[in-house]
Amino acid sequence: MHAKRHIAAEEHHGIDLAPMLDFTINLLIFFIITTSFIKEPGVTVIKPEASTAANDPNGNLLIAVRESGEIWMDRREVEMRDIRLMVERFHIERPDDNVVIIADRESAAGLVAEVMDMVKAGGIQNVSIAADAPGGG
Amino acid sequence: MLGRRRHLSAEPESHGIDLAPMLDFVINLLIFFIITAVFVKESGLVLNRSTGVENPTQSDAESIVIQILANGDIYVDDRQVDAQAVQANVQRMKAASPESAVLIVANNAAPTGVLVEVADEVRQAGVFDVTFNTTE
Repeated sequence: MHAKRHIAAEEHHGIDLAPMLDFTINLLIFFIITTSFIKEPGVTVIKPEASTAANDPNGNLLIAVRESGEIWMDRREVEMRDIRLMVERFHIERPDDNVVIIADRESAAGLVAEVMDMVKAGGIQNVSIAADAPGGG
Repeated sequence: MLGRRRHLSAEPESHGIDLAPMLDFVINLLIFFIITAVFVKESGLVLNRSTGVENPTQSDAESIVIQILANGDIYVDDRQVDAQAVQANVQRMKAASPESAVLIVANNAAPTGVLVEVADEVRQAGVFDVTFNTTE
């Protein structure tokens, strides 16, 4: 008799949280798995277009070269000589990650080449130049 | 009256753990990961850099040389070509010597857009071993 009354008490106890918790934890696991902590340059540049551009899932350090010749990395403007040290530090932190240089269409090729050499001197050999697929955003 | 009091005291113990603090924690963690998640992935072209700076006019016959001038003009085999014609030219030269790699020699001031466009054309022609150099 007491037992029956006890079951009835559960109803006015509020919502059952367990399914919500299951759902929330699933969502949490999804975000943990997909997150990759990309280092964004913090500026937007107009990228060149290339139809053979391949997606590099490990391209997590982005360096932007603007039309004016400014170099942006990790949300601040950096000097050419700083790149090497920053890349070295990043390489120690995350040895499997690669660098993508996001160069403006109008930026000088010589500057991009110099940045590329600096990144390679910093220890990351796999460097690509970002490009959009034609017609796509 | 008696039944109700017994119900209040006995209930939390028999009900198991209180999930609310755990749920708070999990939701906080979830919000953190949602905020830090970045889904944008950059796609790009991989270009090699040759270590020694060679003079493009006397580079070995093995590689197909494409020059890009400061104003964006493209020269394949010392002939000026249109950006769209690079693919056809590279295909023709690759047919003549299938082992050859492509060397892009860009002027320091050449726009990167042209460089990427040329590299893209070369890759469309089926050559993925693209090296690029810069000249003064």
